[in-house]
Amino acid sequence: MAAYQLPQWAALAPALLLALTGLVLFLIDSISPRSTDRTLLAGTAAVGALASLAVAVWFTAAGVGTPTVDGGEGVIEIFDGQFVVDQLALYFMIVVTIVTALIVVASYDYLAGHTYQAEYYSLVVLAATGMATVAAANSLVTIFIALELTSLPSYALVAILKDNRGSVEAGLKYFLIGALSSAIFVYGISLVYGATGVLQLDSIAEVIADGGADGFGGLLGLGILMLLGGIAFKTASVPFHFWAPEAYEGAPAPISAFLSSASKAAGFVIAFRVFNVAFPLGEIGNVIGFDWTVAFVVLAIVTMTVGNFAAATQENVKRMLAYSSIGHAGYALIGLAGLSADGGELVMGAALMHLLVYGFMNTGAFLFVALAEHWGVGRTFEDYNGLSSQAPVACGAMAVFLFSLAGIPPFGGFFSKYFLFTGALQAATANTAMLAVAAALVVNSALSLYYYSRLVKALWIEDPPATRDRLGQPTGLYAAIVVAAVMTIVILPGFGPVAEAATGAAEALVN
Amino acid sequence: MVGTGAGPFSYAPAIALFPLAAFVISLVFGRQLPKKGAIPGIFATAASLLFSLWMFATVAGGETYHETLYEWSAGAVTTEVGAEEIAFSFGLLIDPLSALMLVIVSLVAFLVHVFSLGYMNDEGETGLPRYYASLGLFTFSMLAFVYADNLLMAFMFFELVGLCSYLLIGFWFRTKSAPSAAKKAFLVTRFGDYFFLIGVVAIASTFGTVAFAGEESFVVAAETAIEDGTTLFGFDAQTWVTITGLLVLGGVIGKSAQFPLHTWLPDAMEGPTTVSALIHAATMVAAGVYLVARMFGYYALSPTALSIIAFVGGFTALFAATMGVVKDDIKQVLAYSTISQYGYMMLGMGVGGYVAGVFHLMNHAFFKALLFLGSGAVIVLMHHEQDMWKMGGLKDKAPITYYTFLAGALALAGIVPFSGFWSKDEVLFDALIVGLEEPVILAAYAMGLLAVFFTGFYTFRMVFLTFHGEPRTETAEDPHGVGWSIKAPLVVLGLLAALVGFVNLAPIAKVAGMDITFLEYWLDGEYGYVEGLTYHHYHEMVAFEEGYIGSETTTMLLSAGLSLGLALAGAFAAHTLYNVPEPKRHTTKLGGAYTVLRNNYYQDEYQVWLAEGLTLPLARTADLFDRSVIDGAVDGVSGASLFGSSWVKRIQTGLVTNYAALIVAGFIALLLGLGLYGGWF
Amino acid sequence: MNDWIAIGALALVGLLIPLGMMAVSYLLRPTVPETSKRATYESGEIPTGGTRVRFNIQYYTVALLFLVFDIETVLLFPWAVVYLDAVESDSVSLLEILGPMLLFVAILLVGLAWAWRNGAVQWAQTPRQAAADSDRQ
Repeated sequence: MAAYQLPQWAALAPALLLALTGLVLFLIDSISPRSTDRTLLAGTAAVGALASLAVAVWFTAAGVGTPTVDGGEGVIEIFDGQFVVDQLALYFMIVVTIVTALIVVASYDYLAGHTYQAEYYSLVVLAATGMATVAAANSLVTIFIALELTSLPSYALVAILKDNRGSVEAGLKYFLIGALSSAIFVYGISLVYGATGVLQLDSIAEVIADGGADGFGGLLGLGILMLLGGIAFKTASVPFHFWAPEAYEGAPAPISAFLSSASKAAGFVIAFRVFNVAFPLGEIGNVIGFDWTVAFVVLAIVTMTVGNFAAATQENVKRMLAYSSIGHAGYALIGLAGLSADGGELVMGAALMHLLVYGFMNTGAFLFVALAEHWGVGRTFEDYNGLSSQAPVACGAMAVFLFSLAGIPPFGGFFSKYFLFTGALQAATANTAMLAVAAALVVNSALSLYYYSRLVKALWIEDPPATRDRLGQPTGLYAAIVVAAVMTIVILPGFGPVAEAATGAAEALVN
Repeated sequence: MVGTGAGPFSYAPAIALFPLAAFVISLVFGRQLPKKGAIPGIFATAASLLFSLWMFATVAGGETYHETLYEWSAGAVTTEVGAEEIAFSFGLLIDPLSALMLVIVSLVAFLVHVFSLGYMNDEGETGLPRYYASLGLFTFSMLAFVYADNLLMAFMFFELVGLCSYLLIGFWFRTKSAPSAAKKAFLVTRFGDYFFLIGVVAIASTFGTVAFAGEESFVVAAETAIEDGTTLFGFDAQTWVTITGLLVLGGVIGKSAQFPLHTWLPDAMEGPTTVSALIHAATMVAAGVYLVARMFGYYALSPTALSIIAFVGGFTALFAATMGVVKDDIKQVLAYSTISQYGYMMLGMGVGGYVAGVFHLMNHAFFKALLFLGSGAVIVLMHHEQDMWKMGGLKDKAPITYYTFLAGALALAGIVPFSGFWSKDEVLFDALIVGLEEPVILAAYAMGLLAVFFTGFYTFRMVFLTFHGEPRTETAEDPHGVGWSIKAPLVVLGLLAALVGFVNLAPIAKVAGMDITFLEYWLDGEYGYVEGLTYHHYHEMVAFEEGYIGSETTTMLLSAGLSLGLALAGAFAAHTLYNVPEPKRHTTKLGGAYTVLRNNYYQDEYQVWLAEGLTLPLARTADLFDRSVIDGAVDGVSGASLFGSSWVKRIQTGLVTNYAALIVAGFIALLLGLGLYGGWF
Repeated sequence: MNDWIAIGALALVGLLIPLGMMAVSYLLRPTVPETSKRATYESGEIPTGGTRVRFNIQYYTVALLFLVFDIETVLLFPWAVVYLDAVESDSVSLLEILGPMLLFVAILLVGLAWAWRNGAVQWAQTPRQAAADSDRQ
């Protein structure tokens, strides 16, 4: 690294930069309230997100979090270990900031004529701050606070179209379910604290290893399960998924993209960190009677199946994507289900890769919906008929997203899914239930192709209705969609470093 | 004597690449070019011819070439003979055989291109860029096939040749018959190629190599396996060689139009006559026999396979010749003669007469190209009339066409001293000496001999009907003139048809004791050679005994006299029947046989029956199975999925209280399940 | 004996007590039906209007602002207690003591300024202001 050694707290720079951006946006709004200078606002937010992304990438490249034996800087602990900046944290910061940047750029056009511009951007950036903080949080308390920092702006963002009944209703539902889930989560924290007497993740593991939690198996187990509930809410996994279709459908489409990509990733980073660090497999089994992978096996299968099955017959495109997003949460859960006491970093690495690729393709797909909403063509599959004749570039990008989501070979989604599948099969040697997971993955992927290609068919094959106005070409939305599409494609040749980063992060966590 | 990359051979790839370039140019710029693509084609084939001659001269100078140019796949395998890896590559093999064939192919292709100027351009055909592009691709494929150094590459270009023939036969795709003929040619040869492909796979998986030549070739591997008595796939090594050899032979029979896959060839006359010349003389049909010659060492290992080749050849020779007797269309007669002549080549190969087979292949290439181009000239003269009964008396109106055509006819009929006589005689002689020891071969020989008579008959029937007698129609009285581009190729080929037989005067050599069997020396490695690919080597490998009537010379003279006599008898019969001012059909004399011959022994009918009566119901059953069972299962799955989907969708009621209740219920279910599993209660 | 039986018993008792009280009161009370008994109880006044009254949103914003500064005070308080001791000790510099709290207050100030500028502490709106505020969405 450079000759000048940065102070320890600077390791949180990606999150701090986002927080600063949020404050700057508030300042701008304070100086000129109700500002509609979209270029300034979106520009500030985008610059903040990109700066944060750049710092996170720089840190990764410079070896922050890489074990010192591999020539890296080692894991950096901040506030006595309340936060850690390791490969996993940086990886998810990258995912979150990428999605944030895409959303912000796309919102430039989507929010044209909207009153609450500054609030919108500052809330997005604050939520992103929360997500970046979540990635680094290493104690149940910091996790909870960061999680709430993520959730509260999200509620407001979903409901930000104040005159739109759908948006407000979605926001309220999201808020109510979120409150319930937060309550469950925080209750879980209290139970874990009750059983172990500590809150920091590695200390929990130490207490469990020392036998400090023996005799509180049920209590600890219940606590873990409640933590799982809170995480399931964030990741939109069954049975805590009920908010997702409504919230995604009602929210402004860029916010749906944000929630379903970045917010979900934030949920997963908690899951990965909490379960791997605080409740190491093997030792935890002695205390609560079983390994928590069982819970993830069940959740993964049920989530995949419910998500994909419900998506199959949707008529509303956004709702279809919402359910598909639930299905993808199920795929990512395989990363936890496939872990075992003596390894599994491969399958978890695959899940990390999937989340990154998903960050591009799912965001892109929702942004296309945002574009369609911007055009005002309607919301159902039928309304999308023949859009390709009027907007071939965007529709081509959408086809890329959909095929990638379905896992068709030339695109990034295929590889992550393929790695998940092989990882699941490999994990099956240690845990035969993984065979069922792998089978569910295949069946659900096949089913997902059905509804994804339905949309492609509507876009590319069906004839457009005669009475459709000329469609504009909003720069910001187009730019974001094209960038996402290009990334979905070029991530394939660049898969080497991505896979390396993902497995590296997974390895550091599992072992 | 295998050369490396240096010297003239480094230019060898250009031989095939010139026509490929012509293909691209004609395809892309054909419309803008003055002669619609003819010029690049002519120049490309001329260049190929020059380079081929250069290669030929270099081989004559004692060098050969065997080089892998590009390896596109290699990997570990488990084979029957223990080879552990296999490589698939593109490579060139230029030995005496392929050098000779390169010259023949490029020469005929060049002449056909020139002829096309008169036949296609001057007649105002449309779609010429497509025509010349296809010709270019056709030539490219055939040349690449000729000097392929391994079986897989040969197969690939073999297929490409088939594709090009499809394109060219169906050139006049707006007619009803041409596309149908093209499809037939494609499907029938494909049927044979199917076996060929299996053969390639079988050979590759048995020996772990598909190379034709060298120590690593499958021929050597097969020889070793037979010597070692290895068991291959549960068979005795020799049996397995026979099986795989016969599988490859499937492709040969399809392409070289041997019985029973000959049915496509007469229909292929739907293509332009120039294309017929190219297909029959030097490319498509020749490819089959050439393949046998190319891997002759492999067939030589299996007497059974050789006998089958010989018998099929002999049978086809007679079978096709009889059908040629009753045809009215000048091109149809030539078509059946082609089938028949390729039968001779197969007969020659099958009895171990490698030199005789190749000799006939070469002679046939020239005289059949000549005859087809000659018939093309006649067709131009006759304003695109092909029925011989509407011709007559063209002799005086078009002397160059007549004399060159006559040279070709004499060669085809096998009249001394024209080229066809020498090679056909050698084939029959080789068959006879083996036949004296092997009854099966004797039968094949007998059929081949009998076919000589029919050949002489139909050939001269064609000549007399076309050129002699009184003009029978108005067009025949006032024919259309032909230009230099038609005459020049005819003259070149006419000279070749008359003279090329002198390269291997085996009977005279035997009688006079002179060393004038140049082709034999050529193929026997007197000049340049590749180890294991010489006539000498093959001759040792073939297990047939040879017998003689009296001495060798007596046998030879007997054989030559017999075949010449029969040919002359056939020609004379034709002369008496048709060389009159007002010829009659004389078909009633044949009685019921006429109907049978006219219908080509009902070959088409039974093949159509096989397709419609047998394959179609089978296909219908498969289709029914597919639609009911397979599709049913698939539809069932999707139906169940969609039904499940609509059910899952219903959980989402839209009421947030329901959601909260469901979340709590789901959570409790998970809690109870895992709690019981973990023994918390 | 399973430990959970105690919890079950507690739940049972928890249910039985209110039910028992209601049952006893049902048995003891006289039944005098009267319409005013069905009316909503509003401190003895006669009820006016429906129950679903809209409160001014300002109540909430003010309450939220109050909460924010309430918590600020809670966090400031322990800091203030240790402040003098920390200044006197040599182990920490003044910047390290003062800096974080100033930053914290500064962030809160940004929030307050924003809330103020956006009218969170504006007690009443003129019709003109109200018109300018309405969302165009």
